[in-house]
This record gives sequence, C-alpha cells and structure tokens, in this order.
Amino acid sequence: MKQFPSLALTFIEMGQLKAFSLLCVIAVLGACTSTTVDEFRQGETGIERGESIVILGRRHASDYETRAEFVQCVGDRIESGSNAISVIPEQEFVDAMFPWFEPRTAPLRTRDLERLMAEQVVAGKMNEFGVRYMVWLDGYTETTGRTGTISCTVGPGGAGCFGFGSWEDDSNFEARVWDVASLQNVGTISTDATGQSYVPALVIPIPFIARVEANACTRLAEQLKQFVNGG
Amino acid sequence: MMKLIKEVSHYKSMMHHRAVLMLASCALLLSACGVSSVVVQGSFPAPNVARLPMNIAVVYDEELRNFHYIEYSEKGDEEYNIASGNSHVDLFNAVLPAMFESVVVVDNVQAAIESGVDAIFIPRIDEFQLALPNKTKLDVYEVWIRYNMSFLEGDATQIADWVLTSYGKTPTQNMRSADSAINDAAVVALRDLASSFSLSFGQVPEIRDWLASR
Repeated sequence: MKQFPSLALTFIEMGQLKAFSLLCVIAVLGACTSTTVDEFRQGETGIERGESIVILGRRHASDYETRAEFVQCVGDRIESGSNAISVIPEQEFVDAMFPWFEPRTAPLRTRDLERLMAEQVVAGKMNEFGVRYMVWLDGYTETTGRTGTISCTVGPGGAGCFGFGSWEDDSNFEARVWDVASLQNVGTISTDATGQSYVPALVIPIPFIARVEANACTRLAEQLKQFVNGG
Repeated sequence: MMKLIKEVSHYKSMMHHRAVLMLASCALLLSACGVSSVVVQGSFPAPNVARLPMNIAVVYDEELRNFHYIEYSEKGDEEYNIASGNSHVDLFNAVLPAMFESVVVVDNVQAAIESGVDAIFIPRIDEFQLALPNKTKLDVYEVWIRYNMSFLEGDATQIADWVLTSYGKTPTQNMRSADSAINDAAVVALRDLASSFSLSFGQVPEIRDWLASR
C-alpha cells in the first residue's frame, strides 16, 4: 500500500526530469553565439620590439559609451598568447595624458591627433610610452526581445520557481587603428555578435547565457592582433 | 528524552532562522525607505599644460567645501544626498599647482590680499543636476555641474568672472549599485571640469588681455 504514492511520485519526477532535460537541450542548443568580423585595411602595419599599442574606448556619444571592461578584455587578449603585443592600460594612458584624452577633448580624427602631437608635452609622453598604434574602440551590447515569465514562490514547505525566460544580446563594436608614426588611419575592424539566452525554471532556475560580448571581445582581439602584426 | 532535546534544538534553530530573516527584511525595508548618501570620491591627475609664471591664492568658501546636492523622488521624498565639496577641493588642489608657479590656499579674500600674491582665484558651484535612468529612460547616469569662476588681481580688483559647465555620464551595469554609478558619473564630470578649466583658462578674453598686459 505504501508503495503506490512513492511510485506515483517517481512517475511524476520522471516526467518532470524528461521535460527539464528537454528544456536543457533546447537551451544549450539555443544559447549559442554567432559572430561576424569584418576588416578594412587602408595601410601597411607591423610592430617592432619595444613598441606598444594603446586601446581606448570612445565615450563622446550621448546615449551610450564603450565600457572600460570591454576595452580591458580586448587588451588582455592581445597581450596574451602567441604573437602577443604590449598593450598600455587605458586608465594609465588617459591619466598620464590628462587632459588631452578625456571624452570631450579626445581626438576624433587623425587630423586632430596631428594637431595634438604638435603639443610638446603630448608628443613627449607618447614617446615615453612607445606608442606605435592607437586603437579606438566604439560600440556597445544591446539586449532586446525579452520574453517569458518566471514566478517563484516561498512557502513553509520550501521554495521553487516555474517558468521560462529568454532574451537576445547583440554586440556591435568597431576598432579604428591609427598609426602614431604616420598619423594615418591604417584600418578598421568591426565585429557583430548575436546570441539568444534562456532561463528555464523547474523548481530551480538554470540560466543558459550566450556569451555574446565575450565572444565579440575574443574575435575582435584575435583579428586586431593579426592586423597590427601585419598579417 | 533525546528526542525531546532534538525537537527543542530544532525549534530553537527554526526560531533563530526566522529572527535572522525578519531582521534582514526589516533592514531591507529601512534601506529602501531612507535617503542614499553618496560622498563623491575619485583621483584626479595633474594636467599636462604649460605652467603660467604666476603666484596665486585660492579661496574655497564654506559653500563649496560643504556642497551637497539632494535629488528628490517623483513623490517628493529625498532620494540621494550627494556630497561633492571635498572632491572639488581635491580636484582644484591637483589642477592649480600644475597651471601656476605657486598656489596658496587661504580662508578668505582678505587673507589672500595680505599674502601678496599676483592673483586670487575663487571657484563656486552654481548648479548641480543629476539624471537617473529610471527618470530619463536612458541606460546612463548623468551629472551636470555649472560653476562660476572668479579671478581677481592681488588687491582683489576683478579681472574675470566666467561660467564653466561640466558633464559626466556612466552606463548602467549589472551588479553595480546606483550609488557607485552616481559617484563614477560625478568623477567624470569633475575630470571634465579640470580639462576644460585647464585648457580654456588662457582663452577667457579678460584673462588673455590681463596676461598680455603683464
């Protein structure tokens, strides 16, 4: 007699487990990211030993700004692995150059950089750092299409959630490479990454997050490293 | 007997958990009701500009030193109390020695006159504005500050009186508190002030003429 409830419970648990596994499979398959990288070369590149690059985020737009964390992510990846390039940390460079690379004073075109390099103090600091290329990163990640609901309940017997939520992330970043020696724009690399994230909740919510910005960072860094090395 | 002890122990543990939960809930409710205090803190680098061969005295009046701005909610309750007086003093203390040959901080204009300097500088905050994402529907925290700058000769005769504005913003981000985002936006605004002040000082017409006549 005592076996029936536990058997029934087992069937229910099996059913829940199957449904949950199915959701997990859908989510794992779905939480993928697709990334496109475009390169437009306008000049020859190459970097000598002792030379460095600096990666700076654009922050002059009114409704968004390139996150410092993304700039650091790209820099960290360029500085590691094979054919690594020395990268000057953004904040260290901006502070040392203060007030010439603040959001309102930073050069927007190579012509502005040329004018800036006429300032003895700027040219001197740039020389001290050994900057060969200046990379301007501009872009952001947008989250759209939030759908679904998850409701959670807490009671004396325990707590649990049920539901399903999903959203789409779209990362668009552009890197402009300026040659500090020739004061020319030598190329532009753009990356577009999209991915769908899911959170199925059957008692416990399990998030399957598409690593959209991380993928955009990795792919952009790989391409930039190759570009600067002259590949 | 053992069973009784176990039950009592279980009951005690349950009561303890409930008390902790109630305390946490109360703390959460209280924090949700009160005003959030933000004391602006940041580091300000010295600007790389040509130093003017001039000795100046700077007066930070009480209003600037104790400056704080209160942002009200749509219901009219105090939402944020932003204290930025000290950070303004820190900023000018970093910027002015890079712009002038020597700088002394004095309590008032009379003390400045007595110190026998070439010029006296008095910065004042005219207006402070804060824009929050829940009100603007933008994904950024924004800070605007308007200043009134006074530059006087060593005997307190006025040379120039001009207005400067500064702006700073910081994007919304997961796992970052509003207090921290407001602080970051204010620090960007202060750096903006330092950059525009140090780069435009010599271009203020009255100051340019005065410098040329020296």
